[in-house]
Amino acid sequence: MSRPAPNPIYTLRGAGGALNTLHFRCNGQDSPLLFSGSENGAVHIWNLNSRRPVKVVEAHTGSSVIWVSTLQSTGSLLSQGRDLQVCLWDLRDGGCELLDSVWTGSVGFCQCSLLETSSTNHLLAFAGQQTEEIKIIELPSKNPVCTLIPEAKLGMVMCIKLWKPESGVGPLLLAGYEDGSLLLWDVTQRSVLSQVKAHPEPVMCLTFDPKRLRGISGSSEKKLSSWMLDSQNNIQLQDSVVLVNPGVSQICIREDGRLLASAGWDHRVRIFGWKKLRPLAVLQYHTDMVLSVAFSDHLDPRQTLLAAGSKDQRISLWSIYNEGSDTG
Amino acid sequence: MESVSTNAEIRLTVAQSFRTLTSSTDCKDIIATLQALVSYLDDGAESKTTSAEREEFRRAHYSRTLQFLVSNIQADWLWSLSAAHRAELWDNWFLKGPPDQALLVLMDAITELRPSTSLDHLVGITEKFLQSGRLAELLWSYCVQSASSDSPQLRETLLGRISALPDIMANKLHPDIRPCFLPQQYYPLLASEMLAALERTCHALRDGTDCSLSFVAQTLGKVCIQGHSGSVLALMAPRLCVCTRSDMLWRRVCWKLLESVPQRWMESVLTGLVQAVRGPDTLGRIIGNLVLTNKKAQFVMTHKLLLLQYKYETPALRTVLGYLAADRDRRPLLIQAIRSLSQAWANPSAIRHTPLEQQLYVSKALLLSVSLLKDSELQELRSELLQCMLGGMQSHLDSSVPRVRKMGMVVGECLSSRMDFKGAALKFEYEPDEETRELLSLITPDTCDEPEPEPGNGRDSPESVSQTSTSPQNVTSQSQPGGTGPGSDLDSDDDFTPYDMSADQETGRASPPRYLRDCLETLTSSEDAERVELSLRAAESLVRTNVFAAREISVQMTKVLLHMEDKYRISGFLRLRQTTMVALAVTACIPVTQYLTTEFYSLNYSLRQRLDILEVLALAAQELSAPISDKNVSSSGGRTSAELSLHQSDDPAHWRQVVEKRIQSKTKRISKGATQPAAQPTPNRYAPVAGYFFFPLLRNYDKPQVTFDLLGSDHLVLGRLIHTLGLLMHLAVNAPIAAQMGRALLDFVWAVRYHADQMVRRGVLFAVCSVFLSMPSQSLLVDLSDQLFETRTWLADVAEGDPDEDCRSLAVQSLVLLDKSLKKQLEDQQALSLES
Repeated sequence: MSRPAPNPIYTLRGAGGALNTLHFRCNGQDSPLLFSGSENGAVHIWNLNSRRPVKVVEAHTGSSVIWVSTLQSTGSLLSQGRDLQVCLWDLRDGGCELLDSVWTGSVGFCQCSLLETSSTNHLLAFAGQQTEEIKIIELPSKNPVCTLIPEAKLGMVMCIKLWKPESGVGPLLLAGYEDGSLLLWDVTQRSVLSQVKAHPEPVMCLTFDPKRLRGISGSSEKKLSSWMLDSQNNIQLQDSVVLVNPGVSQICIREDGRLLASAGWDHRVRIFGWKKLRPLAVLQYHTDMVLSVAFSDHLDPRQTLLAAGSKDQRISLWSIYNEGSDTG
Repeated sequence: MESVSTNAEIRLTVAQSFRTLTSSTDCKDIIATLQALVSYLDDGAESKTTSAEREEFRRAHYSRTLQFLVSNIQADWLWSLSAAHRAELWDNWFLKGPPDQALLVLMDAITELRPSTSLDHLVGITEKFLQSGRLAELLWSYCVQSASSDSPQLRETLLGRISALPDIMANKLHPDIRPCFLPQQYYPLLASEMLAALERTCHALRDGTDCSLSFVAQTLGKVCIQGHSGSVLALMAPRLCVCTRSDMLWRRVCWKLLESVPQRWMESVLTGLVQAVRGPDTLGRIIGNLVLTNKKAQFVMTHKLLLLQYKYETPALRTVLGYLAADRDRRPLLIQAIRSLSQAWANPSAIRHTPLEQQLYVSKALLLSVSLLKDSELQELRSELLQCMLGGMQSHLDSSVPRVRKMGMVVGECLSSRMDFKGAALKFEYEPDEETRELLSLITPDTCDEPEPEPGNGRDSPESVSQTSTSPQNVTSQSQPGGTGPGSDLDSDDDFTPYDMSADQETGRASPPRYLRDCLETLTSSEDAERVELSLRAAESLVRTNVFAAREISVQMTKVLLHMEDKYRISGFLRLRQTTMVALAVTACIPVTQYLTTEFYSLNYSLRQRLDILEVLALAAQELSAPISDKNVSSSGGRTSAELSLHQSDDPAHWRQVVEKRIQSKTKRISKGATQPAAQPTPNRYAPVAGYFFFPLLRNYDKPQVTFDLLGSDHLVLGRLIHTLGLLMHLAVNAPIAAQMGRALLDFVWAVRYHADQMVRRGVLFAVCSVFLSMPSQSLLVDLSDQLFETRTWLADVAEGDPDEDCRSLAVQSLVLLDKSLKKQLEDQQALSLES
């Protein structure tokens, strides 16, 4: 007899809007923090020890926040909103000061992708003003690096992932488009390395594991497609996972590469083993669409948490398959 | 001529001796006299008397001498003898002579004597008598002597003494009785003495001597009829089983023994034997073809044991039927038994009027006997069995008692599968339980042989013990290697055990209604299965949370729900519908109950709907009468409270609890009782509206309609109606209206108290019980005084004679309640009159 379905270890309430994005910062000496961006334009910073918001940043003046992240080096906060801005905030000394902002021009929902190339330089990729356009700029100088526009009509950019392969060549970018295509861009060459039609519907989300060169993408349909990059940087579609209910908002791989979590439109978070994509658990708590999932970056893997943010304005936190505390 | 002179001589000697013993004071004289008399008993070669003299003395003078000795037990000379002399010259008298005479004299003397040393002495002698195997001697002496030698009266008395010895002793000695006179020891002793007598008979027969077993058989019969068949046959049956296994002579002796048992005692011997032996073969060896020669035995075995006495365990039943089936000559009896069993099983009147246990017993017997039939015999009986099965099935399924129905189904299934209608066996859907499993197991013939104990082989053999003790070790050793398996390959997915994912179902598209009126609208007019289901699921909570809206549309919604059918196979449909209707009835009590009670008697409802109405009324009344709990609060906020509890560990807001706990731990309490908070008094919501539930249901019950005849064929509803009324009455305890209700209810049930259906009768008795429970005892006496007497008589009648066990116990309970209530009332009145 299998174990009964798990329950959240605790929940965070009071965001006052649907939670579009979540981001952990738990690897510092300070108390672990969770950043959440909500529909009403606020970024909540939750202290996970007291389980209360430390600070609320009204980042985008009422426009929905669709992405938050922090810079590892300086601890600055990046937030992207539907007001077409990406803002950089200085959080040091308990303050909250707007350092810089970038106008993206994209009216879509595509979340940015950040790549820290060195301790001072970062690359930020975001969807641009034109339909298929992806722009990459350098931070903090805000110099544009390149603009990537495919030749074919693929529809809006839905999701992007910027990463630097270990082989040492320049950064690569994975992008999912509205018609279900998945493109691998070489950023330095500004050329398409590979293209694959992963879904019949728009690619809603994708994630990529640079160590294993494997990725997975979700759509508004009932399945997750996994794929792999071969040595010639071609995307090879692999087996897919069939879900019970259609629609995935976000997927996320745990740091150790063993677990995959998907945020479902059916109010549920699903956990899979990342290697064989074996279904492991269905987390039921939310009463509306789950919009975001994130695994925490605790230094001690036993403390790793899973957070899920939902349209029902709650964040649920789960401790699942943690060695020592919770081995299966 | 010579014998006459010998007889006279002996008589003279005896008379002289008696005289000497009475008159003489010289010790030596007395000893000499006694020794002279004792010599008549000595068989030894050095004896001074001839065998003819001894014979004559035993026949004519032994009893007299014993009686004389006993009557002189207080004589001085007896006490002047030394202990050794006394044992030799006095006690030996009772242990050496003919045992029957000795026993009779001893018993007579013991009954007559008052408690004294003499009595103790005689009791001691009796004990020695038993211990030295004189009983076997006694029985054996009757085996060899011809029956005509003594009068029937003497035999009768002797039989009575032997079989009732523990009673006689207990009557005399009561608390100081010695263990060997207790029935637990005496009857096994008697049994082994009888076995010894039988054994000697066997030897004698081998030597060519004729023996008569009639006295042993009479003893056996008498002991059995007195209710000691269990302890006697428990010892005899295994021994007889072993002896008869290979020895034909033993079998003949057993058969003869059983044949000689008098008719009037035959039944108790046979029933005891059937229970004591293990398996039909043994029974066959012991009693032979007794059933063919003895009418009484045949009647007992083929009729009484199978149809009338339903107290026996299944093994006994198996033994009887197996015995009938085992021999070619007896098989016609088996067929005959099957005929009568099937008739009894199918008899509709028996199903209605015999106790459930008897029906179960007959079912078992039928299944067992059918399983013993050969195929050719089955062909012969097939049409009869089929007819009986069809009729019986119908009458069983008609019954209102679920257990009867289930029994009918199982028997029907088994019969049809046994008769083999070319694959068209009956198949019913019923929940298997202990009883059905047992019944089903009976149809498969018992293949394993009877476990007969070998002589000298203890039943709890050491091998089995050692086996059971080692088996757990085997299990653990087997399971151990598996334990180290997982966890070795840490890097694989497989070490994550999946959680239970059964709850991961497809979600519906529609959302549940948020307003009660929407819900009602959907239930009335929607054809969308999903929306109907959602509405039905949401309905109860909507009703409970929107009290005002619910009151407005209560009747309408009740009507919709009452007429609703499970068109979409919604899981838990009946429960959902019922809970919603109950919620409505609780929320808007008066209009809904008025509606429901009117509809109960109106046209065009199915039985199911009428039963639903009753159930809803009963549940609503139950909920109303229960004190308002915080159940609703907790169920709506269950999730939040669970969340709260997660935080409690580090939440400072709960300091109060911590402080309280600390205070409690530091405080010493003498009694724990006071710490529990007293129950909060709350108003009974049911009391003011009880009449609305109750009285309308009493109207119209005797007006049969085209579709609904409460007093006729619809007795199922009648039973439930009365039961519900009883429940409503019971819940109205302490309500002011209870007295009126009770009166009306008693009037109502009076008409149906002898209803043929047991469910109705049970309902009636339940209602009566609840009347006695709920009515104040004062009004019970005042309002019902004219009916109480009749009711009591009727209840006593039911308690004694009703075939249904529940009915009987309910009647007894009602009587107890009534008596208690009346007693209390009378005491109160007495107390009042004393005060004034």
